[in-house]
Amino acid sequence: MDGLTESGWDNAGSNWRGLGLTDPIKSVEDKWLLLPAFLKVKGLVKQHIDSFNYFVDVDIKNVVKANNKVTSDVDPRFWLKYTDINIGFPDRFEVEAIEKRVTPHECRLRDITYAAPIIVTVQYTRGKKIVQRNVNIGRLPIMLRSNKCVLTGKDEAELARMSECPLDPGGYFVVKGTEKVILVQEQLSKNRIIVETDSVKGIVQASCTSSTHGGLKSKTYVVTKKAKIYLRHNCVHEDVPIVIALKALGIQSDKEILLLTAGSTEAYRVAFSSSLEDAAKLGVFTRHQALEWIGSRVKVNRRVMGPRRPAWEEALEALATIVLAHVPVTGLDFRSKAIFVATMTRRVLMAMDDEKMVDDRDYVGNKRLELAGQLLALLFEDLFKTYNSNLKTAIDKTLKKPSRVNEYDAWHTMQFQGDHITSGFVRAISTGNWSLKRFKMERAGVTHVLSRLSFISALGMMTRISSQFEKTRKVSGPRALQPSQWGMLCPSDTPEGEACGLVKNLALMTHITTDVEEEPIIRLAYMLGVEDISLATGTEIYGPHTFVVNVNGTIIGLTRYPARFVLQFRKLRRARRISEFVSVYINHHHKAVHIASDGGRICRPMIIVENGRPRVTSNDISELKCGKLTFDDFLRKGIVEYLDVNEENDSYIALYESDIVATTTHLEIEPFTLLGAVAGLIPYPHHNQSPRNTYQCAMGKQAIGAIGYNQLNRIDTLLYLSVYPQQPMVKTKTIELVGYDRLPAGQNATVAVMSYSGYDIEDALILNKASLDRGYGRCQVLRKNATLIRKYPNGTYDRLADAPLEENGRKAKKYDIIQEDGLAGVGERVDPGDVYVNKQTPTNANDNTFSGQAASVPYKNAPMTYKSPVAGNIDKVMISDTDNDQTIIKVLIRQTRRPELGDKFSSRHGQKGVCGLIVNQEDMPFNDQGINPDTIMNPHGFPSRMTVGKMIELLAGKAGVLNGKLQYGTAFGGSKVEDMSRILIENGFSYSGKDMLTSGITGEPLEAYVYFGPIYYQCACFLNCGLGLLTRLLEHMVMDKMHARARGPRATLTRQPTEGRSREGGLRLGEMERDCLIGYGATQLLLERLMISSDKFEVNACQECGLMGYNGWCTYCKSSKKMAQLTIPYAAKLLFQELMAMNVVPRLMLDDA
Amino acid sequence: MNNDQQNSQAMGGHGGGIPMQAPRQDMEYLCADCGAKNEIKAREPIRCRECGHRIMYKKRTKRMVQFEAR
Repeated sequence: MDGLTESGWDNAGSNWRGLGLTDPIKSVEDKWLLLPAFLKVKGLVKQHIDSFNYFVDVDIKNVVKANNKVTSDVDPRFWLKYTDINIGFPDRFEVEAIEKRVTPHECRLRDITYAAPIIVTVQYTRGKKIVQRNVNIGRLPIMLRSNKCVLTGKDEAELARMSECPLDPGGYFVVKGTEKVILVQEQLSKNRIIVETDSVKGIVQASCTSSTHGGLKSKTYVVTKKAKIYLRHNCVHEDVPIVIALKALGIQSDKEILLLTAGSTEAYRVAFSSSLEDAAKLGVFTRHQALEWIGSRVKVNRRVMGPRRPAWEEALEALATIVLAHVPVTGLDFRSKAIFVATMTRRVLMAMDDEKMVDDRDYVGNKRLELAGQLLALLFEDLFKTYNSNLKTAIDKTLKKPSRVNEYDAWHTMQFQGDHITSGFVRAISTGNWSLKRFKMERAGVTHVLSRLSFISALGMMTRISSQFEKTRKVSGPRALQPSQWGMLCPSDTPEGEACGLVKNLALMTHITTDVEEEPIIRLAYMLGVEDISLATGTEIYGPHTFVVNVNGTIIGLTRYPARFVLQFRKLRRARRISEFVSVYINHHHKAVHIASDGGRICRPMIIVENGRPRVTSNDISELKCGKLTFDDFLRKGIVEYLDVNEENDSYIALYESDIVATTTHLEIEPFTLLGAVAGLIPYPHHNQSPRNTYQCAMGKQAIGAIGYNQLNRIDTLLYLSVYPQQPMVKTKTIELVGYDRLPAGQNATVAVMSYSGYDIEDALILNKASLDRGYGRCQVLRKNATLIRKYPNGTYDRLADAPLEENGRKAKKYDIIQEDGLAGVGERVDPGDVYVNKQTPTNANDNTFSGQAASVPYKNAPMTYKSPVAGNIDKVMISDTDNDQTIIKVLIRQTRRPELGDKFSSRHGQKGVCGLIVNQEDMPFNDQGINPDTIMNPHGFPSRMTVGKMIELLAGKAGVLNGKLQYGTAFGGSKVEDMSRILIENGFSYSGKDMLTSGITGEPLEAYVYFGPIYYQCACFLNCGLGLLTRLLEHMVMDKMHARARGPRATLTRQPTEGRSREGGLRLGEMERDCLIGYGATQLLLERLMISSDKFEVNACQECGLMGYNGWCTYCKSSKKMAQLTIPYAAKLLFQELMAMNVVPRLMLDDA
Repeated sequence: MNNDQQNSQAMGGHGGGIPMQAPRQDMEYLCADCGAKNEIKAREPIRCRECGHRIMYKKRTKRMVQFEAR
């Protein structure tokens, strides 16, 4: 602190707008170089890869250590112990293979799994000796580009040799030939207290989900009920009055309880007093009484063996192991758990007193992201436990046999344990169902197929975060943009519609932490002067200057000097004495210091500012430029550090260097990193209306372009490729960082912003026919058609046959392209109906009783015929073997498509449009240099959309074209409009970007100047891309959407037919349809549709009072005289009754119709 | 790959009158890894003679292919 003020004095004279004379960095441009340095170390999908590496290197060993012994019930002398576990490199499963290593690409082509052997080191008894051996217990699918992947650390040439794209981010698995991603899952953080209020019910509750490493999960609540406070937990039938709970936890005296919960604050004491009385009323005064009280209400796990234990023992065990399981209880020292419960109670009291003291569930700091590594660790633990129990039964079985020739070797048993672990992994990843009974986990849809529509869609998928919230809930909280997600989650990239705001994307510079050991951190905290919490009473804990120190949600001690403690802690972190991902911050509301080292926190790097000066010098940057320093060196030197959301809240971060003041603690590396990889493609996004950027994020993923350098080697189910992709004229720094300039999806179209012909209304575009002829928007569709040449269990097999001859001795037309091997020739044109794989299957393939000669069986034709109505060409025919030695044949068929009417195009500003007209070049307008536009866009697209970024893109693009340079449109920066105008003027154009055009039709000059220049257009034509796909899509859609109903289920409340196909619902005759019928005068039809076929209901109404009765009796008039029966919609009857419930009387006035 | 049976059936069924076909040589396939020419026999594992790679591609057709310049 002293140093800070001192240097402030020193610099006072030389400070001018925060810039000193000796200021180390001259321009902002230098500083952003830290970003590529960061990405170089971490890669774009570092969160997935780091998590997987952590699992493979650390976590898997912990899992094995926790389950490391197998014993036998039969032979007590036998034991088997796992001493180590290692994951090898992905290899071929076959024994006789020469080259063992396998590349991911081979796995993709051969439909096999990219997996590596799991090798355990075991020690076990053989006879009287102890033997140590390595055993392969199964195969683990390996994440691409992780530690164990063959691609890691390879340069471009080596990657090309393995037909892998250097720009591919990795982070996914190849399972049975398909690429699968385990999406990042968002969850509420574990082991933290969350206080919430329900203003409707007047309830305040503090909840804490405990999760220990053993996978045990339980939720504990401290809730108010009628102004009294209770502890609630699943394992106790009844809510436990908080005082009883605390007494059971060993805090006997009321005075101590009061001090630990309410402290000396009068308001809290008053609020707590009724809870204190509660216990006394129940006659619970001592610890034993409290335990008895709880013990008689605990849900006991009925065990078969052992005598029944007294109630107080049950209570003790439940309190020690199940309630708040994450707080350690060593021996029977319940002190820290008691204090934790007391803290929860105090937080409830605080929230009762002041409504603002509640926590925000949606605050990003209260969230944890679950990644592939954690999910795989759980899966592995489950599989490993099952494996061990299977192994145990197998060992028991052999040991039970009375006589053995040679001494028993468990190694042989382990060899024959089947592929339980392998198939478990493959099944879970390929189906996405994580159903682990052992951990009460039942999750579906964990994995997704990596979308390879475009490079950006694949990349966007890797940064996606899915939320656990249900989509149907109509609360805006979880969907809203959180201020705390600044820099961590992209504010633009979220889908529209039902998942809006629930599916998020990571920003460019985020990192997700993995677990860091907490023991050394706790030790360090004590060294820095933290006093153990067990030694403190309420007076000290809630004293005026004391702060509680928490490590990962557990209270460990007190400190009287929180600022100093945090400062010292941070210094040690910057000196790399502890992991850089440990965060420490002060929460002044709770008077607590929190240290977090758990996994799943989002954090990002920032430049440290000391004494009003960033610690980065231009020297550092120049050394970074010439490659002497890496990002890790910056971390090591304490120039840059990672901050998580909570610590960010405890810092004062300057956006720009000029904003630095004396109290500033950090400086942003670069503001544009607050956007994600997909939103980073938009030029000038800060000039656009924000929803436009969101639309573009959805559309950028659909654009057709290059997919990877290996795109022509891939055989995907469906692959869209642009024939002539171009990199955008107006780039952003993000584009360069993610490699979009090398794998672009779009073309720079010369656009004239003007009206033309009337076929351009409603965002339609006019295309230049000559541009299309030259290849604008042309794309190729490659479709895979695969078949297996199977061998059947009964010895028969499929075969390929050459083309049969017709009577005239010639091949039929549809067999024209089939060659002698029964496969179509590569390069041949396939017309609709043509056969391209002439496969034949035995007629008795499934007859397992057959035992004759396999060659003599009769065959039937099972050819693969080309279905699409548009002709294609055979691009590739691949033949290979799968894992279980079935021959697989993949035929890749290519179609080339040029844009046609109705194809969708979009600029990078969420401005999509369909092609409305294709115009001959001679009819297009031209400028005085004879330049034609490729596209004409209607200017009506601008005013309501407010995409100023697009206009600036045109200007910058035009300037770039004229002086032969690429311009930048980076967010919060980029080329200035003024500079662009200057370039235009220098090249003889108008500064405004408008040109004088001549009409191609009349030859007269147009009456207005036209905004004219290049805009990067993406072609997303697969929405209506030729008939071929359309029919296929329709086929698909009709199956999904077909629905009809005559009578069926009804909603309980209104008795009207249910809504939606999934509920077998009716088809709604809506308000507007009703209007039509009214207008037409079809009253009987109206009556039928709206009442008789929907919710007709017979009511008895009284003509006297106008109210409804029943069974011909009016309960109001107490008579049945003037009752009448009539039919009304049930919804109307419901409305009347609801109105009556609100003290409004609707009366039915009856009349003869 | 099983062309013999197929063809003998077809020929046997219709008797003579069929122009003599050129003596068939086995189809050749290219190894995806080293590019070596290989022959594939039915129901045998697919493996390159030269490098042991398990993926084969079919060679391009010898017939002329016309494209529409559109």
